[in-house]
Amino acid sequence: MENINDYKYALDESSIIAITNQKGIIIHVNDNFCKISKYKAEELIGQDHRIINSGYHNKEFIKELWFTIANGHIWKGELKNKAKDGTVYWVDTTIVPFLNNEGKPYQYVAIRSDITSRKESEEELRKILREISDYKYALDESAIVAITNQQGIITHVNDNFCKISKYISEELIGQDHRIINSGHHPKEFIKALWTTIANGKVWKGELKNLAKDGTNYWVDTTIVPFLNQAGKPYQYVAIRSDITERKNGEEQIRQNNERAVEHARISEIKNIQLVDFCNIVSHNLRAPLINISMLVDYMDQTDDNEERKEIQAKIKPVVNHLMEVFNELVESIQIKQDTEIEQEYVDLKECINKILIGFDTQIKAYEADIKLDFEEGTMLYYPPKYLDSILTNLISNSLRYKSPDRKPSIVIRAKRNEEHTLLLSVEDNGLGIDLLLHKDQIFKIRKTFHRHPDSKGFGLFMIKTQVDAMNGRIWAESTIDKGSTFFIEFKN
Amino acid sequence: MIKSLTLVDDDDVFVFLTKKIIQQTNLVELIKVFGNGLDALNFIKENINYPEVLPEIILLDLSMPIMNGWQFLDEFTKINGDIGKKITIYVCSSSISPDDIARAKIISEVSDFIIKPITKDKLVDMIKSIG
Repeated sequence: MENINDYKYALDESSIIAITNQKGIIIHVNDNFCKISKYKAEELIGQDHRIINSGYHNKEFIKELWFTIANGHIWKGELKNKAKDGTVYWVDTTIVPFLNNEGKPYQYVAIRSDITSRKESEEELRKILREISDYKYALDESAIVAITNQQGIITHVNDNFCKISKYISEELIGQDHRIINSGHHPKEFIKALWTTIANGKVWKGELKNLAKDGTNYWVDTTIVPFLNQAGKPYQYVAIRSDITERKNGEEQIRQNNERAVEHARISEIKNIQLVDFCNIVSHNLRAPLINISMLVDYMDQTDDNEERKEIQAKIKPVVNHLMEVFNELVESIQIKQDTEIEQEYVDLKECINKILIGFDTQIKAYEADIKLDFEEGTMLYYPPKYLDSILTNLISNSLRYKSPDRKPSIVIRAKRNEEHTLLLSVEDNGLGIDLLLHKDQIFKIRKTFHRHPDSKGFGLFMIKTQVDAMNGRIWAESTIDKGSTFFIEFKN
Repeated sequence: MIKSLTLVDDDDVFVFLTKKIIQQTNLVELIKVFGNGLDALNFIKENINYPEVLPEIILLDLSMPIMNGWQFLDEFTKINGDIGKKITIYVCSSSISPDDIARAKIISEVSDFIIKPITKDKLVDMIKSIG
């Protein structure tokens, strides 16, 4: 008996105890019961046990409970009850039916323990889990998602990922993420990406990836590293959205812009050529025509026969001059039109040596020194006619406009700059040209800069036309009485 | 009647004829000719202190070797203030380019732009407007 009292004491101290009769009327509660239900014992005794029913559990659950205990079995479970002030509490509950001689329960002893805080945590956890799964669902529906481990091996892909990459998920899981690398981005770019995420930082950017069928797609990408306790990434979650259409649009716009700029450039060149041509017509063709017209007018109004003869004699040279200018113009226009002139591999040294033979007399007479400074076997893919004309004109100028004070010295250099350009220069120690005064003029037709009977102002105009026609560049540096250097950049 | 007129032009036929026409007018005592801008400029610079030697009128071509008409005008503008004499400059060119005409018009040293050919009447007008 002593023993039983000890047990009862221990139970009362540790648990929430209530006893009801077989109808569920409360006949005993202990202090713990009063404390948790916030009722006094007097308020409970004689009340139906349903006084603490929270209404949380459904009817079937309650029915099953009663069925169990009414049949004399012990029921165990977790119940949510309601206290007097309307708050609820969770109790882990064991209901033991006490049976009479007939084996029918005459009372039920309910032993409970408070599990409210555990239940609340569970509830909170469930809520968070639900929220997370909602997020995951939303993400999976809206974005292209892949997860890789820290080595870049794919551990998860969602349906959107499969759809855009045209792989099925089995083909992707376990593969290196580089399986979708398009090779579009430079190494430094990819390296910077890995450095960022390996350091635990989020990376955002636009990536061009490769689908299974070899097509490319663009994705706006955010890669989030997941960090372990040590702060090191153990996996990377990549969230992407398809921006292929936008990127293609951008590319189209870029190409259109480039084309427009190129068109503008060409029209500008055409316009400059047109203005030049207008000037040529205005100055170089109109001038001799005016001469003829003035000469004819003068002849008409003079009565002096001698004078008339004198005037008449002047007409022929003007006509010849007009013819000459006219032919030069026709020649230059032919160059502009002749876009499909035949190109050949020309050995630069052979070409120059052949030209020098033509200047042999002058070179000997002036004791000119001509040096070639370029690699043996330098070849140029160019129209031979143009190359010959360019070099002949430059060498001829260097000899013609030599300084009276020193023997001519000419250096011809050639250097391959990049893959497709060859820079050729012809340097002399001659008279030089005042470029401050003539910088816009040196390649214009009929412009001369020295008093020399053979100066016509056609050579440099002609070779510029030829260089331009082959998309090259020609320019000059010069110091008066020191010499000139002409540079030509051949696109080759 | 003026004392001196200068032609700056490299076109021999134009110079020959213009000289003849001017001589016929009997309005000019002396006609000087320079084949390019530099020669004319040097002459002016050398005689900058002798205004009686300098011309009253210059007929200036644009397209010339060594120093063209534009370059001459640039240089002339720099020294014009030091010349103790009013020199009237007519640009006289075969150019019909509107750009050339507009460019000449904004240079205050240029009195007019005459498109070649030049007539006797025009020359007489020019000389009389000075004299």
